[in-house]
Amino acid sequence: MRSRRRPARDPVAASVRDLPPGASADLRVIRSAWTTIRFANGRIHQPHVERSTHVSYRVADGRRLGTATTVDASAEGLASVREAARTLARLAPVEPRFPGFSSGGGRSRPPGAFSRATSGISPEAATRIAERILAAAEDAAPGGRIAGAVNVGGETLRVVNSSGLDRTDVRSIAQASVLVDRPELDPPVSGWSEGGHWDASELDPEGLGREAAERVARTAPETVAPGNYRVVFRGPALAEALQFVGSLGFSGHGEEEGWSCLRHARGKRIAPESVNLVDDPRSRATIPASIDYEGTYTRRVPLVDHGIAGEAVTDLVTAGRLGRGLTGHAFPPEAPWGEYGPDAAHLVLSAGDASEEELIRETRRGLLVTRFHYVRVVDPGRGVITGMTRDGTYRIERGEVVGPARNLRFTDSVLTLLKGIELLGRERRIYAGERGMSCYTTPSAAVRSFRFTSATLF
Amino acid sequence: MEDLLRTALLTAETQDIAYADVRVVDPQRSLYLAVRNGAASALTDARSHGIGVRVRTDRGWGFATTSDLSASAARTTARLAVRLARASGRTAPERLRVTDDPGPKEGRYASVVEQDPFEVPRDEIVALLSEAESRLHVDRAMKSGHASFQAWEETKWFASSDGASFRSRIVQVGAGISATAVRGSMVQRRSAPSSFGGDFRQGGFEFVQALGLVERAEAVGREAVQLLDAPACPTGSTTLVLGSDQLALQVHESVGHAVELDRIFGTEAGYAGTSWVGAEKVGHLRYGSDAMNVVADATEPGGMGTFGWDDEGVSAQRTPIVTRGTLVGVLSSRESAARLGLSHSGGTARADGASFSPLVRMTNVDLLPGDRSFSELLEGVADGVFVETNRSWSIDDKRLNFQFGTEVGHRIVRGEVGPLVRNPIYSGMGPEFWSSMDAVGDATTWHLWGLPNCGKGQPVQLARVSHGAPAARFRNVAVRGGSR
Repeated sequence: MRSRRRPARDPVAASVRDLPPGASADLRVIRSAWTTIRFANGRIHQPHVERSTHVSYRVADGRRLGTATTVDASAEGLASVREAARTLARLAPVEPRFPGFSSGGGRSRPPGAFSRATSGISPEAATRIAERILAAAEDAAPGGRIAGAVNVGGETLRVVNSSGLDRTDVRSIAQASVLVDRPELDPPVSGWSEGGHWDASELDPEGLGREAAERVARTAPETVAPGNYRVVFRGPALAEALQFVGSLGFSGHGEEEGWSCLRHARGKRIAPESVNLVDDPRSRATIPASIDYEGTYTRRVPLVDHGIAGEAVTDLVTAGRLGRGLTGHAFPPEAPWGEYGPDAAHLVLSAGDASEEELIRETRRGLLVTRFHYVRVVDPGRGVITGMTRDGTYRIERGEVVGPARNLRFTDSVLTLLKGIELLGRERRIYAGERGMSCYTTPSAAVRSFRFTSATLF
Repeated sequence: MEDLLRTALLTAETQDIAYADVRVVDPQRSLYLAVRNGAASALTDARSHGIGVRVRTDRGWGFATTSDLSASAARTTARLAVRLARASGRTAPERLRVTDDPGPKEGRYASVVEQDPFEVPRDEIVALLSEAESRLHVDRAMKSGHASFQAWEETKWFASSDGASFRSRIVQVGAGISATAVRGSMVQRRSAPSSFGGDFRQGGFEFVQALGLVERAEAVGREAVQLLDAPACPTGSTTLVLGSDQLALQVHESVGHAVELDRIFGTEAGYAGTSWVGAEKVGHLRYGSDAMNVVADATEPGGMGTFGWDDEGVSAQRTPIVTRGTLVGVLSSRESAARLGLSHSGGTARADGASFSPLVRMTNVDLLPGDRSFSELLEGVADGVFVETNRSWSIDDKRLNFQFGTEVGHRIVRGEVGPLVRNPIYSGMGPEFWSSMDAVGDATTWHLWGLPNCGKGQPVQLARVSHGAPAARFRNVAVRGGSR
């Protein structure tokens, strides 16, 4: 995070200074560079390099809000997008509790962590990461089918508003995932590994490739009857569940509209005392973000404190509607993000002291689940979600993994999952969304009971 | 724009490559207007442009994109794409093959638009949304009303090194309303014409005016509140009648994605998944009952997946997918079609603007109508369930095991639509489910639905597609009520 004097003819700062009477504004300028290397069937098949600029300009005409976006950050482009936003604002219904844009205040802060080499990675260097993953997986699982992706890059986010706020953040992200499957088995089995970091040199491509290959079972999966099982969730599965804990339980939007599954549980116990869930965008254990998309400094927000549910997070609009302060969880105001509202998207779940083997050893009969697929909300008020297991579901009996299971559909509440956490693993990893707007840092965990409602054929 | 296309294409072609194509999109526009509980909700006017260059060497693909439309940026982007193609082909085990597709490869395509949605005074649209949204609030239990309008414009120039060249302007539009009622921890929602934004069509504002949002709003609000007191949907194996909008999503998830040839060949394995359909089974796989007939039709008037050429310069086509229950076709690109041994691509490689590589995507994948009126679908059903309007959807990564929840259900009692039931959920396995379809509604039950947000690929890109679907009847389906 830098706060420095801008050149006198800085068109971004100038565009929010000379607004018409009664108008105020904030804008975001995002300059990004990304390289994505996809591979499948043992070869790189979809490499992608992107250099882009995105401007998101929100104008408040009194308490009427409109947003316009463009890719043109020149003075002319900014004038045009501002007029488009103002046109919308003037015809918008009034947002009666809009608190106005904040000057922010406080001292400038440095970025939580940033890697220039990562954000400026060359296409060839990103390709080499993919090649290293492929080679390691092929070595460890000869004949296996390998697929996955490497996504590396970064962006600069500058937020300026008419109340004098002018803050910039730089972000870097590297993530990789790899799937190895053995098509000769009927049905086939697969293994998965993924990881993310703000520094590409921390990715360990060989380790990811080997891990996915070593997780592929050697026998065909067996059918497991639907029902309630004790489950050891690996990081990717738990990360996805935490995403729904954030959106269904801790979004100011759900609180305001009455459908949050935790609106009657604030200050009450929802998980064992060992469970601490924080939103911590400044931590080096996430993909750090020093400001949110309204320029508010991010900070550590306890959401589940020793098992007790905390408050929902806010942005400017929901803070006004709920009569609360800003927590630094704004997403860009334009659709679609503007419709979703604020989100706790840098979740960090406390680690325990168990190895994955120990989590399994403590399970008399249950399942080991690696990751989920196609998770959707069934009942927001109760926090119920449904989805499939994928790429590594195993049967546990008498404290040992005894073989693979055909994938299962779960339909249960994220609150059941939180409440049922009995043991937490000690190794945590970062599981990042595609461009680092969200990331979840989590260990594996053993959960007392989770409901599986059907099984598929593989 | 032609100069920019030539600049990028020439830059790529001088570097010893097998193929290049260039897309310039300017503008790519979207307008989103929404009202939630009387206040504006994320009103957005989005405008962008960009250039995308895709290059193929004999062993690798490269794609680069930028939002800078200067000539120097076009050259830089083309060189980046070539670098990436060379790097990605370095360790490729075999040469790339693509189909050689017949023409015409040149021309223009434009949506048929009576009233350009970007020219309609926006205060008129917001007034319409405000009026519709306010009428949703029929009861104190109504906690959230929402009315939204969306429009898109994409003007595109395309040229490739094998002679394809076209220009297109596509305009799409849609709108919808939804009402959320809450009591305790129970949350019920009703939407119209369908959920997740309503209904969408390629065309102009005349489509939105015909939706009748204001006229429908009070009934939508009332039904959301009534659902709070409705009994849970009964649990068991029963006869299920799906309304047209829910069946459209069922087609999307359990037919459309399953017949994408890139999934079938495993190139989406790491993300979206693969398919239960094997490549060797195309032409004889039993997909469903004799009543099942599906086509992918990129020429369908008004479809969200209608165009002149796909993003590889291949002409739009109508391809039979399932005929009398047998899988006879797939969705394909030039590369995937060549791998299957087809003589030409199905013309369904589509990209979102200029910023992404084309992927095998759906166009307008329709379940064709049968011969039963809606009342005939119910005839003889002593006890069953009729469900409409999706609330949740999930399906496994081979597109077999699915579970759908809908906003509303009605008991079917002695051949008539009976009382309301809440939280209906049905589930099954694709082939069994489609085989259990014993009656398909006629054209009076059929509707072309627009879906604006089909996500696929890394980085993820969105496609706008359509699905025509009638109502239809399925036997012995697992149905239950509620989430517990």
